[in-house]
Amino acid sequence: MKRIVLNLKIAVGALLNFKLRTALAVFGILLGTFSLIVVSNLSESLTKKTQMEIANLGENLLIVRSGIVRRVGTGTRLLSEATTLTVADAGAIVESSRFINAVSPSSNKSFPVRYGDITLKSVLIVGAVANYSEIRNFNVKDGSFITDEDNRDFNKVATIGNKVAVELFGSENPIGKYILIYRVPFQVVGIMEEKGVDVSGFDQDNQIFIPLNTFLRRIVNKDYINNISVQVIGEKSIPVAKAEIEDILRKRHRIREGGKDDFTVIDLKDVLALKTETMSMVALLGRTAAVVAFLIGGIGILSIMILIVNERRVEIGIRRAVGSRKRDIILQFLTESVFISFSGGTVGVIISFAATIIIFSLSGLPFTVSPSGHIVSFFASVGVGILAGIYPSKKATKIQPVDVIRQ
Amino acid sequence: MPLCLLEKVKKTYRMGDLSVEALKGINLRIEKGEFVAIMGTSGSGKTTLMNIIGCLDVLTSGRYVFADREVSSLSDDELSVIRNEHIGFVFQNFYLLPYATALENVLLPTLYVEKRRDNAEKHAVDLLRLVGLEERAKFRPNQLSGGEQQRVAIARALINNPELLLADEPTGQLDSKTAVEIMSLFVKMNEQEKTVVVVTHNPNIASFAKRIIQIKDGVIFE
Repeated sequence: MKRIVLNLKIAVGALLNFKLRTALAVFGILLGTFSLIVVSNLSESLTKKTQMEIANLGENLLIVRSGIVRRVGTGTRLLSEATTLTVADAGAIVESSRFINAVSPSSNKSFPVRYGDITLKSVLIVGAVANYSEIRNFNVKDGSFITDEDNRDFNKVATIGNKVAVELFGSENPIGKYILIYRVPFQVVGIMEEKGVDVSGFDQDNQIFIPLNTFLRRIVNKDYINNISVQVIGEKSIPVAKAEIEDILRKRHRIREGGKDDFTVIDLKDVLALKTETMSMVALLGRTAAVVAFLIGGIGILSIMILIVNERRVEIGIRRAVGSRKRDIILQFLTESVFISFSGGTVGVIISFAATIIIFSLSGLPFTVSPSGHIVSFFASVGVGILAGIYPSKKATKIQPVDVIRQ
Repeated sequence: MPLCLLEKVKKTYRMGDLSVEALKGINLRIEKGEFVAIMGTSGSGKTTLMNIIGCLDVLTSGRYVFADREVSSLSDDELSVIRNEHIGFVFQNFYLLPYATALENVLLPTLYVEKRRDNAEKHAVDLLRLVGLEERAKFRPNQLSGGEQQRVAIARALINNPELLLADEPTGQLDSKTAVEIMSLFVKMNEQEKTVVVVTHNPNIASFAKRIIQIKDGVIFE
């Protein structure tokens, strides 16, 4: 231990003669460590976020939407509307497919909502049935969700999203109060839990649920719907179930072979997978940058170590004269190059930690410190130090005391 | 047995096509406890002889036995161990490490001892006191005078308690008054039963030794 401390002290003294070069070498390793850790933290955080979203989605969920829906980036866009999807379709799906547990037809449209003096110009009104809450894994916080009776009797009751509740009622208790949805009075019977933004960026707390039948008769006056949430029996069956649903709906909608579908079956996990893919591209880029930075740092260390060995020929000769063996010399210079590399790594860790805090507090992503990122960058900086030190230290052992001490 | 026994030692340097015979068959016996001066002009081969005696260089032909070991058959590592444990070097240019303090310089050889002693630091301080530099333990070489630097070098040479002290022009960089002080230290070491070999071209310095060997053109006269 004492030996290492003394040797390092001597090394630092020698390095101070090459401040700029040392700084550059250290900086390369610093950048490598920095980008490696930040990228690891970020991608781990995004994975966590994705997992949270998957858990939020509801288990083994497929969504049938009426019309043609295109994926735009990670969001979706309705390209053409259709008037063919019905509640009967939902019933047919659950009856005809062995891979489906339950279906929940629903339909939605935005309307202004009013309570007292406050008017919200555009809130998504969802006509839903009782099992929607369970299938979409979206529960009530207070009161109750729409029931089968509500739906059967065309009741004018509403379960409102958390954001709607806050905006309309403030600190008042909304349950039992009446709100106006598109001039129709509804009694609030429940408030949904907070759910946040979904995969496509839609704020799920800014919606109001009313019975589907009420929605169709009293609000939109139509007999077609635009959504069916489908719960598949297991994750493995999702592709089969999707194909079956498509089959059933094509038959029921009398779409001929080769004709265009007037509906779209969406697996939200596909959307998430796409998102993960984009993310892993970013991670790959970051890691490539890290490798390049480590390479630059390594070459920097290599060059500075060669310089140092040349600069300290006399020192090496003295050490050899007083009894250091070749392996002591190798060990000494390897320690030095690892030391340079590792100090760059340490500064990199500190800076990346600061950057991580800033990035996470700005982006609102879940705060994550990736242990693997730190472990990999630790070994990378030590490894680069060793690799860069091998050649110079071998070179150092070629120096014999008689070569330097002879007058 | 003598401490150093050289028989028909030859050393040839190759410089391209040219080969220079620096030592032309040296026979030399140095007993334990002797104080020997090796004298010669520059180019006489005295530094080469010192390098051979100090196990810093290998011979071309002949035989060298140091402390009962056949030196020519030893590996590079074994030579390092001999230099570390049995020989203390003092050079004309002091050769202290510039980034280390006096104390750290004295401790340098202890870094390479296989079985390290726990009290190395105390021993180093004792040696600095012996050479009269106890107060300067934390000084760096560039804060010390030439004579002081050479004292540090002597303390370094003594740290592993070697049998042989080997000095190459130890006073070459010093004024005559300081030179006398340094040589007195060697005399003192010799009185404490260390074998001392000093290589010099200066008769005044050689006169401190009990035995003087002349070397000329790679051959010795006594």
